[in-house]
Amino acid sequence: MNIFKNRSKLLDRLMDIFCLAISICATLLLLAVIAFMIRESGPVWLTAGPVKIITGTEWNPVLKPPQLGIGTMICSTLWTSLGAIFLASPLGFGGAVFLSEFAPDWLAGIIRPVLNILTGIPSVVYGFLGATVLVKFFEFSFHMASGESLFCASLVLTVMVLPYIVVASESALRSVPSEYRQAALALGVSKQYLTFRVLLPLAKKGLLGALILGFGRAAGETMAVLMLAGNSLLMPTSWFSRGEPLSALIALEIGTSEVGSPQYQALFAAGLILLSFIIGINLFLTFLRRPVGNEVRKS
Amino acid sequence: MTVRKWLDRLWLAVFWGAGLLILVILFSILGYLFYRGWPSLSIEFLTLTPKGLPLGSEGGVWPAITGTVYLVLIAVAAAGIPGITAAIYLVEGKDNQKFKQTINLIVQCMAGIPSIIIGLFGYSLLVVYLGFGISLLAGGLTLGIMIFPLILITARDALSAVNENYRLIGISLGVSRRYILARIIFPQAMPSILSGLLLAMGYAAGATAPIMVTAAVISAGSPGSLLEPVMALPYHLYTLFSQQISLDKAYGTALLLVLLLLAINITALCLRGCKRKGV
Repeated sequence: MNIFKNRSKLLDRLMDIFCLAISICATLLLLAVIAFMIRESGPVWLTAGPVKIITGTEWNPVLKPPQLGIGTMICSTLWTSLGAIFLASPLGFGGAVFLSEFAPDWLAGIIRPVLNILTGIPSVVYGFLGATVLVKFFEFSFHMASGESLFCASLVLTVMVLPYIVVASESALRSVPSEYRQAALALGVSKQYLTFRVLLPLAKKGLLGALILGFGRAAGETMAVLMLAGNSLLMPTSWFSRGEPLSALIALEIGTSEVGSPQYQALFAAGLILLSFIIGINLFLTFLRRPVGNEVRKS
Repeated sequence: MTVRKWLDRLWLAVFWGAGLLILVILFSILGYLFYRGWPSLSIEFLTLTPKGLPLGSEGGVWPAITGTVYLVLIAVAAAGIPGITAAIYLVEGKDNQKFKQTINLIVQCMAGIPSIIIGLFGYSLLVVYLGFGISLLAGGLTLGIMIFPLILITARDALSAVNENYRLIGISLGVSRRYILARIIFPQAMPSILSGLLLAMGYAAGATAPIMVTAAVISAGSPGSLLEPVMALPYHLYTLFSQQISLDKAYGTALLLVLLLLAINITALCLRGCKRKGV
Protein backbone atom coordinates (compact mmCIF):
# COMPACT_ATOMS: atom_id res chain seq x y z
CA MET A 1 0.00 0.00 0.00
CA ASN A 2 2.71 2.38 0.99
CA ILE A 3 4.75 1.60 -2.08
CA PHE A 4 1.71 2.02 -4.26
CA LYS A 5 0.96 5.40 -2.78
CA ASN A 6 4.51 6.56 -3.25
CA ARG A 7 4.48 5.41 -6.82
CA SER A 8 1.27 7.29 -7.48
CA LYS A 9 2.70 10.45 -5.94
CA LEU A 10 5.83 10.01 -7.97
CA LEU A 11 3.80 9.72 -11.16
CA ASP A 12 1.83 12.84 -10.24
CA ARG A 13 5.12 14.61 -9.72
CA LEU A 14 6.44 13.33 -13.04
CA MET A 15 3.35 14.64 -14.79
CA ASP A 16 3.93 18.04 -13.21
CA ILE A 17 7.53 18.10 -14.33
CA PHE A 18 6.63 16.98 -17.84
CA CYS A 19 3.99 19.70 -18.19
CA LEU A 20 6.36 22.28 -16.73
CA ALA A 21 9.09 21.32 -19.17
CA ILE A 22 6.75 21.60 -22.14
CA SER A 23 5.49 24.98 -20.95
CA ILE A 24 9.00 26.32 -20.53
CA CYS A 25 10.06 25.09 -23.97
CA ALA A 26 7.00 26.63 -25.56
CA THR A 27 7.51 29.96 -23.83
CA LEU A 28 11.14 29.97 -24.82
CA LEU A 29 10.16 29.35 -28.43
CA LEU A 30 7.92 32.38 -28.30
CA LEU A 31 10.67 34.49 -26.77
CA ALA A 32 12.90 33.19 -29.54
CA VAL A 33 10.74 35.15 -31.99
CA ILE A 34 11.94 38.37 -30.39
CA ALA A 35 15.49 37.10 -30.12
CA PHE A 36 15.58 36.21 -33.81
CA MET A 37 14.26 39.59 -34.86
CA ILE A 38 17.03 41.26 -32.86
CA ARG A 39 19.72 38.85 -34.01
CA GLU A 40 18.91 39.01 -37.71
CA SER A 41 18.55 42.77 -37.74
CA GLY A 42 21.51 43.37 -35.43
CA PRO A 43 24.22 44.53 -37.86
CA VAL A 44 22.05 47.04 -39.67
CA TRP A 45 21.31 48.95 -36.47
CA LEU A 46 25.03 49.39 -35.98
CA THR A 47 26.01 50.24 -39.53
CA ALA A 48 23.12 52.51 -40.47
CA GLY A 49 22.19 53.82 -37.04
CA PRO A 50 18.75 53.50 -35.44
CA VAL A 51 17.80 57.16 -35.89
CA LYS A 52 18.54 57.06 -39.60
CA ILE A 53 16.53 53.87 -40.07
CA ILE A 54 13.46 55.02 -38.16
CA THR A 55 13.29 58.58 -39.42
CA GLY A 56 14.79 58.07 -42.87
CA THR A 57 12.40 58.39 -45.76
CA GLU A 58 14.49 56.89 -48.54
CA TRP A 59 14.13 53.16 -49.15
CA ASN A 60 16.45 51.91 -51.83
CA PRO A 61 18.18 48.79 -50.57
CA VAL A 62 19.95 47.84 -53.82
CA LEU A 63 21.82 51.11 -54.06
CA LYS A 64 25.42 51.32 -52.88
CA PRO A 65 25.49 52.31 -50.11
CA PRO A 66 21.90 51.16 -49.49
CA GLN A 67 19.31 53.64 -48.26
CA LEU A 68 17.34 51.95 -45.55
CA GLY A 69 14.95 54.51 -44.09
CA ILE A 70 11.60 53.04 -43.13
CA GLY A 71 10.04 56.25 -41.85
CA THR A 72 7.50 56.33 -44.67
CA MET A 73 6.34 52.82 -43.86
CA ILE A 74 5.98 53.59 -40.17
CA CYS A 75 3.97 56.63 -41.18
CA SER A 76 1.74 54.58 -43.48
CA THR A 77 1.15 51.99 -40.78
CA LEU A 78 0.08 54.70 -38.35
CA TRP A 79 -2.16 56.39 -40.93
CA THR A 80 -4.01 53.23 -41.88
CA SER A 81 -4.47 51.84 -38.40
CA LEU A 82 -5.33 55.11 -36.67
CA GLY A 83 -7.75 55.84 -39.51
CA ALA A 84 -9.35 52.45 -39.07
CA ILE A 85 -9.79 53.05 -35.33
CA PHE A 86 -11.20 56.49 -36.02
CA LEU A 87 -13.80 54.98 -38.34
CA ALA A 88 -14.50 51.90 -36.28
CA SER A 89 -14.91 53.45 -32.85
CA PRO A 90 -18.34 55.12 -33.27
CA LEU A 91 -19.81 52.06 -34.91
CA GLY A 92 -18.09 49.71 -32.50
CA PHE A 93 -19.18 51.53 -29.37
CA GLY A 94 -22.69 51.96 -30.76
CA GLY A 95 -22.89 48.27 -31.51
CA ALA A 96 -21.57 47.37 -28.07
CA VAL A 97 -24.11 49.60 -26.29
CA PHE A 98 -26.83 48.16 -28.47
CA LEU A 99 -25.82 44.58 -27.66
CA SER A 100 -25.46 45.07 -23.93
CA GLU A 101 -28.38 47.42 -23.23
CA PHE A 102 -30.93 47.71 -26.00
CA ALA A 103 -30.96 44.61 -28.17
CA PRO A 104 -33.74 42.09 -27.63
CA ASP A 105 -32.33 38.69 -26.70
CA TRP A 106 -33.11 37.05 -30.01
CA LEU A 107 -31.34 39.78 -31.98
CA ALA A 108 -28.30 39.72 -29.72
CA GLY A 109 -28.32 35.96 -30.22
CA ILE A 110 -27.92 36.57 -33.94
CA ILE A 111 -25.38 39.41 -33.78
CA ARG A 112 -22.91 37.67 -31.46
CA PRO A 113 -22.32 34.67 -33.73
CA VAL A 114 -22.20 37.08 -36.67
CA LEU A 115 -19.33 38.92 -34.99
CA ASN A 116 -17.58 35.60 -34.48
CA ILE A 117 -18.01 34.76 -38.14
CA LEU A 118 -16.68 38.17 -39.18
CA THR A 119 -13.45 37.49 -37.27
CA GLY A 120 -13.24 34.13 -39.02
CA ILE A 121 -13.12 35.53 -42.55
CA PRO A 122 -9.45 35.53 -43.56
CA SER A 123 -7.76 38.82 -44.25
CA VAL A 124 -6.87 37.89 -47.81
CA VAL A 125 -10.58 37.64 -48.62
CA TYR A 126 -11.21 41.05 -47.07
CA GLY A 127 -8.33 42.45 -49.06
CA PHE A 128 -9.56 40.83 -52.25
CA LEU A 129 -13.11 42.13 -51.81
CA GLY A 130 -11.82 45.57 -50.91
CA ALA A 131 -9.59 45.64 -53.96
CA THR A 132 -12.26 44.48 -56.39
CA VAL A 133 -15.21 46.42 -54.99
CA LEU A 134 -13.98 49.47 -53.07
CA VAL A 135 -11.02 50.33 -55.27
CA LYS A 136 -13.14 50.03 -58.42
CA PHE A 137 -15.78 52.18 -56.76
CA PHE A 138 -13.25 54.90 -55.96
CA GLU A 139 -11.77 54.80 -59.43
CA PHE A 140 -15.20 54.97 -60.99
CA SER A 141 -16.87 57.63 -58.89
CA PHE A 142 -13.98 59.97 -58.12
CA HIS A 143 -12.06 59.54 -61.39
CA MET A 144 -8.88 58.67 -59.54
CA ALA A 145 -6.08 57.23 -61.63
CA SER A 146 -5.93 54.31 -59.25
CA GLY A 147 -8.31 53.81 -56.39
CA GLU A 148 -5.79 52.28 -54.04
CA SER A 149 -5.16 54.53 -51.08
CA LEU A 150 -4.52 54.51 -47.37
CA PHE A 151 -8.17 55.42 -46.94
CA CYS A 152 -9.27 52.26 -48.75
CA ALA A 153 -7.02 50.18 -46.51
CA SER A 154 -8.44 51.95 -43.44
CA LEU A 155 -11.98 51.27 -44.57
CA VAL A 156 -11.38 47.54 -44.93
CA LEU A 157 -9.41 47.43 -41.67
CA THR A 158 -12.42 49.07 -40.03
CA VAL A 159 -14.58 46.08 -40.91
CA MET A 160 -11.83 43.74 -39.77
CA VAL A 161 -11.28 45.28 -36.33
CA LEU A 162 -14.94 46.06 -35.69
CA PRO A 163 -15.77 42.65 -34.14
CA TYR A 164 -12.84 42.93 -31.70
CA ILE A 165 -13.89 46.40 -30.60
CA VAL A 166 -17.55 45.44 -30.21
CA VAL A 167 -16.84 42.28 -28.22
CA ALA A 168 -14.28 43.90 -25.93
CA SER A 169 -16.34 47.01 -25.23
CA GLU A 170 -19.50 44.99 -24.69
CA SER A 171 -17.76 42.97 -22.00
CA ALA A 172 -16.52 46.23 -20.47
CA LEU A 173 -20.08 47.57 -20.35
CA ARG A 174 -21.38 44.32 -18.91
CA SER A 175 -18.82 44.37 -16.14
CA VAL A 176 -20.47 47.47 -14.65
CA PRO A 177 -22.39 46.08 -11.64
CA SER A 178 -26.14 45.71 -12.17
CA GLU A 179 -26.86 47.82 -9.07
CA TYR A 180 -26.28 50.93 -11.14
CA ARG A 181 -28.84 49.80 -13.68
CA GLN A 182 -31.38 49.01 -10.98
CA ALA A 183 -30.80 52.35 -9.30
CA ALA A 184 -31.35 54.13 -12.59
CA LEU A 185 -34.49 52.14 -13.21
CA ALA A 186 -35.78 53.06 -9.74
CA LEU A 187 -35.09 56.74 -10.36
CA GLY A 188 -37.02 56.57 -13.59
CA VAL A 189 -34.31 57.88 -15.92
CA SER A 190 -34.18 56.60 -19.45
CA LYS A 191 -31.77 53.90 -20.55
CA GLN A 192 -30.05 56.34 -22.87
CA TYR A 193 -29.37 58.71 -19.97
CA LEU A 194 -28.09 55.81 -17.91
CA THR A 195 -25.79 54.80 -20.75
CA PHE A 196 -24.23 58.21 -21.23
CA ARG A 197 -24.03 59.35 -17.64
CA VAL A 198 -23.26 56.12 -15.80
CA LEU A 199 -22.26 53.16 -17.93
CA LEU A 200 -19.87 54.79 -20.40
CA PRO A 201 -17.92 56.77 -17.76
CA LEU A 202 -17.62 53.70 -15.53
CA ALA A 203 -16.51 51.48 -18.39
CA LYS A 204 -14.13 53.99 -19.93
CA LYS A 205 -11.01 52.00 -19.15
CA GLY A 206 -12.43 48.92 -20.78
CA LEU A 207 -13.52 50.95 -23.80
CA LEU A 208 -10.06 52.42 -24.16
CA GLY A 209 -8.70 48.88 -23.93
CA ALA A 210 -11.02 47.83 -26.74
CA LEU A 211 -9.73 50.64 -28.96
CA ILE A 212 -6.12 49.77 -28.26
CA LEU A 213 -6.79 46.11 -28.97
CA GLY A 214 -8.31 47.07 -32.30
CA PHE A 215 -5.37 49.36 -33.02
CA GLY A 216 -2.92 46.53 -32.44
CA ARG A 217 -4.88 44.26 -34.76
CA ALA A 218 -5.02 46.91 -37.46
CA ALA A 219 -1.32 47.74 -37.22
CA GLY A 220 -0.26 44.11 -37.61
CA GLU A 221 -2.62 43.27 -40.45
CA THR A 222 -0.81 42.31 -43.63
CA MET A 223 -2.78 40.99 -46.56
CA ALA A 224 -5.52 43.61 -46.63
CA VAL A 225 -3.11 46.55 -46.57
CA LEU A 226 -0.81 44.82 -49.02
CA MET A 227 -3.63 44.61 -51.55
CA LEU A 228 -5.21 47.99 -50.83
CA ALA A 229 -2.69 50.60 -49.74
CA GLY A 230 -1.12 50.98 -53.16
CA ASN A 231 2.46 50.05 -52.23
CA SER A 232 4.13 53.30 -53.12
CA LEU A 233 7.36 54.27 -51.45
CA LEU A 234 6.57 57.98 -51.34
CA MET A 235 5.80 59.66 -48.06
CA PRO A 236 2.01 59.73 -47.66
CA THR A 237 0.78 63.32 -47.62
CA SER A 238 -2.87 62.70 -46.88
CA TRP A 239 -5.29 59.96 -46.01
CA PHE A 240 -6.09 59.55 -49.69
CA SER A 241 -2.55 59.12 -50.95
CA ARG A 242 -0.89 55.79 -51.48
CA GLY A 243 1.53 54.27 -49.03
CA GLU A 244 3.19 51.05 -48.02
CA PRO A 245 2.76 49.95 -44.40
CA LEU A 246 5.51 48.01 -42.61
CA SER A 247 3.78 44.66 -42.89
CA ALA A 248 3.27 45.07 -46.64
CA LEU A 249 6.94 46.03 -47.08
CA ILE A 250 8.06 42.87 -45.29
CA ALA A 251 5.66 40.62 -47.17
CA LEU A 252 6.64 42.05 -50.54
CA GLU A 253 10.41 42.05 -50.21
CA ILE A 254 11.50 39.28 -47.88
CA GLY A 255 11.15 36.56 -50.52
CA THR A 256 13.46 38.30 -52.97
CA SER A 257 16.05 39.70 -50.58
CA GLU A 258 19.36 37.95 -50.31
CA VAL A 259 19.93 36.34 -46.91
CA GLY A 260 22.27 38.46 -44.82
CA SER A 261 22.20 41.45 -47.14
CA PRO A 262 21.47 44.93 -45.78
CA GLN A 263 17.97 44.70 -47.29
CA TYR A 264 17.30 41.43 -45.42
CA GLN A 265 18.55 42.93 -42.19
CA ALA A 266 16.56 46.11 -42.69
CA LEU A 267 13.39 44.07 -43.24
CA PHE A 268 14.01 42.36 -39.93
CA ALA A 269 14.56 45.78 -38.41
CA ALA A 270 11.13 46.75 -39.74
CA GLY A 271 9.76 43.55 -38.22
CA LEU A 272 11.40 44.34 -34.91
CA ILE A 273 9.85 47.81 -34.84
CA LEU A 274 6.40 46.43 -35.63
CA LEU A 275 6.84 43.66 -33.07
CA SER A 276 7.98 45.93 -30.25
CA PHE A 277 5.11 48.25 -31.06
CA ILE A 278 2.55 45.43 -30.78
CA ILE A 279 4.13 43.95 -27.66
CA GLY A 280 4.15 47.39 -26.07
CA ILE A 281 0.44 47.70 -26.82
CA ASN A 282 -0.27 44.26 -25.36
CA LEU A 283 1.71 44.95 -22.19
CA PHE A 284 -0.08 48.25 -21.78
CA LEU A 285 -3.42 46.45 -22.19
CA THR A 286 -2.53 43.91 -19.51
CA PHE A 287 -1.70 46.65 -17.04
CA LEU A 288 -4.80 48.59 -18.03
CA ARG A 289 -7.01 45.60 -17.32
CA ARG A 290 -5.46 44.64 -14.04
CA PRO A 291 -6.72 47.40 -11.70
CA VAL A 292 -10.25 47.55 -13.13
CA GLY A 293 -11.61 45.70 -10.10
CA ASN A 294 -10.64 48.56 -7.79
CA GLU A 295 -12.48 51.23 -9.66
CA VAL A 296 -15.81 49.54 -10.21
CA ARG A 297 -16.62 48.18 -6.81
CA LYS A 298 -18.19 44.76 -6.94
CA SER A 299 -20.39 44.03 -3.97
CA MET B 1 -38.52 67.58 -21.30
CA THR B 2 -39.58 67.00 -24.88
CA VAL B 3 -36.07 67.79 -26.06
CA ARG B 4 -34.77 65.03 -23.86
CA LYS B 5 -37.40 62.65 -25.19
CA TRP B 6 -36.43 63.39 -28.78
CA LEU B 7 -32.77 63.04 -27.93
CA ASP B 8 -33.50 59.69 -26.36
CA ARG B 9 -35.31 58.57 -29.46
CA LEU B 10 -32.46 59.75 -31.63
CA TRP B 11 -29.91 57.82 -29.63
CA LEU B 12 -32.09 54.72 -29.61
CA ALA B 13 -32.19 54.91 -33.40
CA VAL B 14 -28.42 55.37 -33.51
CA PHE B 15 -27.79 52.30 -31.37
CA TRP B 16 -30.21 50.17 -33.36
CA GLY B 17 -28.59 51.43 -36.53
CA ALA B 18 -25.13 50.45 -35.29
CA GLY B 19 -26.32 46.97 -34.34
CA LEU B 20 -28.11 46.38 -37.60
CA LEU B 21 -25.25 47.76 -39.66
CA ILE B 22 -23.02 44.98 -38.31
CA LEU B 23 -25.52 42.43 -39.59
CA VAL B 24 -25.76 44.22 -42.92
CA ILE B 25 -21.98 44.23 -43.34
CA LEU B 26 -21.69 40.49 -42.84
CA PHE B 27 -24.60 39.58 -45.04
CA SER B 28 -23.52 41.89 -47.83
CA ILE B 29 -20.01 40.40 -47.75
CA LEU B 30 -21.31 36.85 -47.87
CA GLY B 31 -24.05 37.69 -50.35
CA TYR B 32 -21.67 39.39 -52.76
CA LEU B 33 -19.20 36.51 -52.54
CA PHE B 34 -21.97 34.04 -53.31
CA TYR B 35 -23.28 36.15 -56.15
CA ARG B 36 -19.89 36.43 -57.83
CA GLY B 37 -18.31 33.14 -56.82
CA TRP B 38 -21.11 30.62 -57.09
CA PRO B 39 -21.03 30.31 -60.91
CA SER B 40 -17.37 29.25 -60.88
CA LEU B 41 -17.81 26.63 -58.18
CA SER B 42 -18.20 23.29 -59.91
CA ILE B 43 -16.97 19.73 -59.59
CA GLU B 44 -14.26 20.46 -62.15
CA PHE B 45 -13.17 23.55 -60.23
CA LEU B 46 -12.75 21.47 -57.10
CA THR B 47 -11.00 18.46 -58.61
CA LEU B 48 -8.81 19.73 -61.45
CA THR B 49 -5.35 21.23 -61.32
CA PRO B 50 -4.84 24.82 -62.52
CA LYS B 51 -4.51 25.02 -66.30
CA GLY B 52 -4.48 27.53 -69.07
CA LEU B 53 -2.24 30.41 -69.86
CA PRO B 54 -1.50 32.29 -67.67
CA LEU B 55 -1.61 29.34 -65.32
CA GLY B 56 -4.79 29.31 -63.25
CA SER B 57 -7.07 30.98 -65.75
CA GLU B 58 -8.69 27.60 -66.39
CA GLY B 59 -8.95 24.37 -64.50
CA GLY B 60 -9.42 24.05 -60.78
CA VAL B 61 -7.83 24.38 -57.39
CA TRP B 62 -7.41 20.78 -56.23
CA PRO B 63 -3.67 21.06 -55.34
CA ALA B 64 -4.42 24.23 -53.37
CA ILE B 65 -7.10 22.44 -51.36
CA THR B 66 -4.84 19.52 -50.50
CA GLY B 67 -1.97 21.89 -49.77
CA THR B 68 -4.06 23.88 -47.32
CA VAL B 69 -5.32 20.70 -45.65
CA TYR B 70 -1.78 19.36 -45.20
CA LEU B 71 -0.50 22.70 -43.89
CA VAL B 72 -3.29 22.92 -41.33
CA LEU B 73 -2.87 19.30 -40.24
CA ILE B 74 0.88 19.78 -39.71
CA ALA B 75 0.22 23.00 -37.79
CA VAL B 76 -2.31 21.38 -35.46
CA ALA B 77 -0.17 18.29 -35.00
CA ALA B 78 2.79 20.47 -34.07
CA ALA B 79 0.97 22.93 -31.81
CA GLY B 80 -1.91 20.89 -30.37
CA ILE B 81 -0.19 18.67 -27.84
CA PRO B 82 2.29 21.27 -26.51
CA GLY B 83 -0.53 23.82 -26.31
CA ILE B 84 -2.83 21.56 -24.30
CA THR B 85 0.01 20.31 -22.09
CA ALA B 86 1.06 23.85 -21.25
CA ALA B 87 -2.58 24.70 -20.52
CA ILE B 88 -2.76 21.74 -18.12
CA TYR B 89 0.32 23.05 -16.39
CA LEU B 90 -1.14 26.54 -16.07
CA VAL B 91 -4.42 25.31 -14.60
CA GLU B 92 -3.49 22.16 -12.69
CA GLY B 93 0.19 22.54 -11.94
CA LYS B 94 1.19 23.02 -8.33
CA ASP B 95 4.13 25.34 -8.69
CA ASN B 96 4.37 28.96 -7.77
CA GLN B 97 1.88 31.52 -9.01
CA LYS B 98 4.43 34.16 -9.98
CA PHE B 99 5.95 31.87 -12.58
CA LYS B 100 2.56 30.97 -14.00
CA GLN B 101 1.63 34.62 -14.22
CA THR B 102 4.79 35.29 -16.18
CA ILE B 103 3.97 32.50 -18.63
CA ASN B 104 0.42 33.80 -18.92
CA LEU B 105 1.67 37.28 -19.65
CA ILE B 106 4.12 36.09 -22.28
CA VAL B 107 1.50 33.93 -23.98
CA GLN B 108 -1.00 36.78 -23.95
CA CYS B 109 1.55 39.04 -25.60
CA MET B 110 2.50 36.44 -28.15
CA ALA B 111 -1.12 35.83 -29.12
CA GLY B 112 -1.15 39.33 -30.53
CA ILE B 113 1.96 39.02 -32.68
CA PRO B 114 1.08 39.85 -36.28
CA SER B 115 1.15 36.88 -38.58
CA ILE B 116 3.73 38.48 -40.87
CA ILE B 117 6.20 38.61 -37.97
CA ILE B 118 5.63 34.90 -37.35
CA GLY B 119 6.23 34.38 -41.06
CA LEU B 120 9.46 36.35 -40.85
CA PHE B 121 10.56 34.24 -37.89
CA GLY B 122 9.64 31.02 -39.69
CA TYR B 123 11.54 32.20 -42.75
CA SER B 124 14.73 32.98 -40.87
CA LEU B 125 14.63 29.97 -38.53
CA LEU B 126 13.11 27.17 -40.63
CA VAL B 127 13.71 28.14 -44.24
CA VAL B 128 17.16 29.69 -43.94
CA TYR B 129 18.77 28.59 -40.69
CA LEU B 130 17.56 24.96 -40.58
CA GLY B 131 17.61 24.71 -44.35
CA PHE B 132 14.10 23.37 -44.95
CA GLY B 133 13.71 25.71 -47.91
CA ILE B 134 10.32 26.91 -49.08
CA SER B 135 8.43 23.79 -48.10
CA LEU B 136 5.33 22.19 -46.66
CA LEU B 137 7.16 21.40 -43.43
CA ALA B 138 8.42 24.97 -42.90
CA GLY B 139 4.97 26.42 -43.63
CA GLY B 140 3.16 23.94 -41.38
CA LEU B 141 5.52 24.56 -38.48
CA THR B 142 5.29 28.32 -38.95
CA LEU B 143 1.51 28.10 -38.82
CA GLY B 144 1.93 25.88 -35.75
CA ILE B 145 3.90 28.61 -34.00
CA MET B 146 1.21 31.08 -34.97
CA ILE B 147 -1.72 29.07 -33.57
CA PHE B 148 0.08 27.79 -30.48
CA PRO B 149 -0.93 30.71 -28.19
CA LEU B 150 -4.53 30.47 -29.43
CA ILE B 151 -4.74 26.75 -28.61
CA LEU B 152 -3.10 27.34 -25.24
CA ILE B 153 -5.46 30.15 -24.26
CA THR B 154 -8.67 28.34 -25.29
CA ALA B 155 -7.55 25.11 -23.61
CA ARG B 156 -6.57 27.00 -20.45
CA ASP B 157 -9.95 28.71 -20.28
CA ALA B 158 -11.75 25.43 -20.96
CA LEU B 159 -9.88 23.66 -18.16
CA SER B 160 -10.34 26.42 -15.64
CA ALA B 161 -14.05 26.64 -16.44
CA VAL B 162 -14.58 23.10 -15.08
CA ASN B 163 -16.41 23.19 -11.78
CA GLU B 164 -13.94 23.43 -8.89
CA ASN B 165 -16.02 20.96 -6.83
CA TYR B 166 -14.93 18.02 -8.96
CA ARG B 167 -11.33 18.69 -8.01
CA LEU B 168 -12.15 19.04 -4.32
CA ILE B 169 -14.22 15.85 -4.30
CA GLY B 170 -11.46 13.99 -6.09
CA ILE B 171 -8.87 15.16 -3.60
CA SER B 172 -11.06 14.30 -0.63
CA LEU B 173 -11.58 10.79 -2.01
CA GLY B 174 -7.83 10.42 -2.17
CA VAL B 175 -7.68 9.87 -5.92
CA SER B 176 -4.46 10.83 -7.65
CA ARG B 177 -4.43 14.10 -9.58
CA ARG B 178 -3.61 12.29 -12.78
CA TYR B 179 -6.78 10.25 -12.44
CA ILE B 180 -8.98 13.27 -11.76
CA LEU B 181 -7.49 15.05 -14.71
CA ALA B 182 -7.80 12.17 -17.14
CA ARG B 183 -11.19 10.86 -16.09
CA ILE B 184 -13.13 13.89 -14.91
CA ILE B 185 -11.69 17.26 -15.82
CA PHE B 186 -10.48 16.41 -19.30
CA PRO B 187 -13.75 14.86 -20.53
CA GLN B 188 -15.63 17.86 -19.14
CA ALA B 189 -13.39 20.34 -20.90
CA MET B 190 -13.11 18.31 -24.10
CA PRO B 191 -15.80 20.05 -26.20
CA SER B 192 -14.32 23.47 -25.48
CA ILE B 193 -10.78 22.30 -26.15
CA LEU B 194 -11.88 20.77 -29.45
CA SER B 195 -13.69 23.95 -30.35
CA GLY B 196 -10.49 25.88 -29.65
CA LEU B 197 -8.53 23.48 -31.85
CA LEU B 198 -11.06 23.96 -34.65
CA LEU B 199 -10.89 27.74 -34.36
CA ALA B 200 -7.11 27.52 -34.51
CA MET B 201 -7.37 25.34 -37.63
CA GLY B 202 -9.62 27.92 -39.23
CA TYR B 203 -7.17 30.66 -38.34
CA ALA B 204 -4.31 28.66 -39.86
CA ALA B 205 -6.29 27.81 -43.01
CA GLY B 206 -6.99 31.46 -43.73
CA ALA B 207 -3.58 32.87 -42.87
CA THR B 208 -1.69 34.04 -45.93
CA ALA B 209 1.20 36.15 -44.72
CA PRO B 210 3.12 33.39 -42.89
CA ILE B 211 2.90 30.88 -45.73
CA MET B 212 3.66 33.26 -48.55
CA VAL B 213 7.24 33.49 -47.31
CA THR B 214 7.64 29.92 -46.06
CA ALA B 215 5.60 27.42 -48.03
CA ALA B 216 3.38 28.62 -50.82
CA VAL B 217 4.22 28.88 -54.50
CA ILE B 218 2.13 29.87 -57.47
CA SER B 219 2.02 26.40 -58.91
CA ALA B 220 2.82 22.95 -57.59
CA GLY B 221 1.33 19.50 -57.71
CA SER B 222 -0.43 17.90 -54.79
CA PRO B 223 2.13 17.73 -51.99
CA GLY B 224 4.31 14.66 -52.35
CA SER B 225 6.96 15.18 -49.71
CA LEU B 226 7.41 17.36 -46.67
CA LEU B 227 10.24 19.30 -48.22
CA GLU B 228 8.46 20.40 -51.37
CA PRO B 229 6.65 23.71 -51.76
CA VAL B 230 2.87 23.54 -51.99
CA MET B 231 -0.07 25.55 -53.23
CA ALA B 232 -2.53 26.90 -50.69
CA LEU B 233 -5.99 28.36 -51.11
CA PRO B 234 -5.39 31.82 -49.59
CA TYR B 235 -2.13 32.32 -51.47
CA HIS B 236 -3.73 31.05 -54.66
CA LEU B 237 -6.42 33.68 -54.23
CA TYR B 238 -3.75 36.33 -53.74
CA THR B 239 -1.84 35.36 -56.87
CA LEU B 240 -5.00 35.03 -58.98
CA PHE B 241 -5.85 38.57 -58.03
CA SER B 242 -2.46 40.28 -57.91
CA GLN B 243 -1.21 38.78 -61.19
CA GLN B 244 -4.57 39.60 -62.77
CA ILE B 245 -5.01 36.00 -63.91
CA SER B 246 -8.73 35.43 -63.62
CA LEU B 247 -11.22 37.36 -61.55
CA ASP B 248 -13.90 34.67 -61.84
CA LYS B 249 -11.58 31.98 -60.55
CA ALA B 250 -10.49 34.33 -57.78
CA TYR B 251 -14.09 34.82 -56.68
CA GLY B 252 -14.60 31.06 -56.77
CA THR B 253 -11.50 30.51 -54.63
CA ALA B 254 -12.54 33.21 -52.19
CA LEU B 255 -16.01 31.71 -51.82
CA LEU B 256 -14.55 28.23 -51.35
CA LEU B 257 -12.19 29.49 -48.66
CA VAL B 258 -14.94 31.38 -46.85
CA LEU B 259 -17.30 28.39 -47.00
CA LEU B 260 -14.57 26.16 -45.59
CA LEU B 261 -13.91 28.58 -42.73
CA LEU B 262 -17.63 29.09 -42.09
CA ALA B 263 -18.06 25.34 -41.74
CA ILE B 264 -15.13 25.10 -39.33
CA ASN B 265 -16.17 28.12 -37.25
CA ILE B 266 -19.83 27.14 -37.02
CA THR B 267 -18.86 23.62 -35.90
CA ALA B 268 -16.64 25.21 -33.26
CA LEU B 269 -19.43 27.51 -32.07
CA CYS B 270 -21.87 24.57 -31.88
CA LEU B 271 -19.39 22.48 -29.89
CA ARG B 272 -19.04 25.30 -27.41
CA GLY B 273 -22.82 25.75 -27.29
CA CYS B 274 -23.40 22.05 -26.56
CA LYS B 275 -20.96 22.26 -23.73
CA ARG B 276 -22.80 25.16 -22.12
CA LYS B 277 -26.07 23.24 -22.18
CA GLY B 278 -24.45 20.02 -20.96
CA VAL B 279 -23.00 21.29 -17.69
